[in-house]
Amino acid sequence: MSADFKALLRTLGEAGLEFIVVGGVAAGIHGAARATFDLDVVYRRSSDNIERLVLALTPYHPYLRGAPPGLPFRWDAATVQRGLNFTLTTDLGALDLLGEITGGGGYDALLPSTEVVHAFGLACRLLNLDQLIAVKRAAGRPKDFEAIAELEIIHNRRKT
Amino acid sequence: MTERSSIDDIIDVYKRDVDVSLIEANLKRSVEERLEMLMQFQAFIEGLRQAKRDSPA
Repeated sequence: MSADFKALLRTLGEAGLEFIVVGGVAAGIHGAARATFDLDVVYRRSSDNIERLVLALTPYHPYLRGAPPGLPFRWDAATVQRGLNFTLTTDLGALDLLGEITGGGGYDALLPSTEVVHAFGLACRLLNLDQLIAVKRAAGRPKDFEAIAELEIIHNRRKT
Repeated sequence: MTERSSIDDIIDVYKRDVDVSLIEANLKRSVEERLEMLMQFQAFIEGLRQAKRDSPA
């Protein structure tokens, strides 16, 4: 199914969740013209925030993306506390919840390298362009080379 | 000055194929419009995938 980025961002934002948009949606907000099929966010790993995350997503039936149906997966605070990164399907589309990202660390480490944009009546925090390029470079995945090329072109255009 | 790596050279190769006109068009859009475009393209691709699944082998 297609991901409803608007509904996902609204769900997380209205729950008061502390999160940073990263990945392809962040690239798209910065101006990249590339398709992406999931929303990647880095969430703060405090107990309060994890509780908010669990409550916000429960109505949308999160489940492990790509896992066979029927596994005894429970979407609760204990599961999130004991894990770190979760690639999920939800009724609103694919959502990657990341406790940490390569080359950037967790929410608190990334926070100084973020900016806030406003969309659909929400203030949405995302990784700034410099840091987005840095983490994609750090990940070192060949599939990201084209995205990095595009982001660096956008970066150079902003400088001129 | 930071020394260039082979990854920099590879990314430069990819830059040759980036359609800058698409970026320019996107930069003229608002944040909401960019998000709407992402969702529209995603839905378009999903429609194509569904059509392929539904078509006789």
